[in-house]
Amino acid sequence: MTRKLTSVCLLWICATTFFLAAARTDAAEMKLEAQLVWGTNDSQPLKPKHKAVDADVAAKLKKLPFKWEHYFEIRRKEFTVPEGGERTIEMSGQCQIKVKNLGKSKVEVHLLGRGKPVGRIGQELPKGELLVTGGNAENLTAWFVVLKQID
Amino acid sequence: MNEEQQLKLQAFLDGELPESEAREVAGWVARDAEATALLGELRNTRQALADFEPGLKLPEPREFYWSKIEREIQRLEPPPRVEETISLFTLLRRLLAPAGAVAVLAIAGLLAINQFQPGPSMEMEVALSDSGSFTYRDQSEGMTVVWLSYPAENQFTDAAVPDTLPQ
Repeated sequence: MTRKLTSVCLLWICATTFFLAAARTDAAEMKLEAQLVWGTNDSQPLKPKHKAVDADVAAKLKKLPFKWEHYFEIRRKEFTVPEGGERTIEMSGQCQIKVKNLGKSKVEVHLLGRGKPVGRIGQELPKGELLVTGGNAENLTAWFVVLKQID
Repeated sequence: MNEEQQLKLQAFLDGELPESEAREVAGWVARDAEATALLGELRNTRQALADFEPGLKLPEPREFYWSKIEREIQRLEPPPRVEETISLFTLLRRLLAPAGAVAVLAIAGLLAINQFQPGPSMEMEVALSDSGSFTYRDQSEGMTVVWLSYPAENQFTDAAVPDTLPQ
């Protein structure tokens, strides 16, 4: 009986260790996706290769009190940031974002325009959450940088 | 007379011998005075026992009476211990089944805890050089929007979007 109990305990400890290790690995690194999005009322993209943004992102953007009807993805970048680390991602020739992984799904995003700091945003970014930065562009259009955590 | 002959006489008296053997024994008894005497003694003893045997009657059917005795014997005698040989598969199954059940319960518990945990606190720190910017939080959509009025139309998009956004 004692041997059985010991074996069960050992198995349980192994399973728990495995799950905790997996969870720890998962938590240590954030896999992120940043999209440069163009908002417009024109139904046609700038170039044929600019496809409409994913339906879930489009649905969320359309619920915002903005005037634009169409959102096209100009560029998409996937990257990982280790816990405590940071990555600088160039979204366009003029736009960069620097993302710091502060741990526990919290990020600090630095916006850089033409290399100059424009602003800093720090918040939790769990999976399913979007952090959207945007501004006006010419011809009554807008640019957006959509940051989210992915699997 | 040896013991075997004595037993044969007893069997003859009880009528337990086959017919041919019984004839032989009858002939032997007729010839041998000692055998005749022993047979007579055995017959008298059997008769005496039959006469003095009390005529007991069982208070219940015979089969039921003996079954009770049999059950009592079985109750008093512990069953013979059979050495159990456990295969590796059985052993693993016995160990893994409870461990698996515990693991499933634990995972379900963890999932339930995660399910009922309050959502992430959307504590936000925003520091923008643009005084005309604003921040909008849509809790139901899980979205935070930071809108910048500066550096619109130039720094981020390089003015003309169609021509300047990187391809």
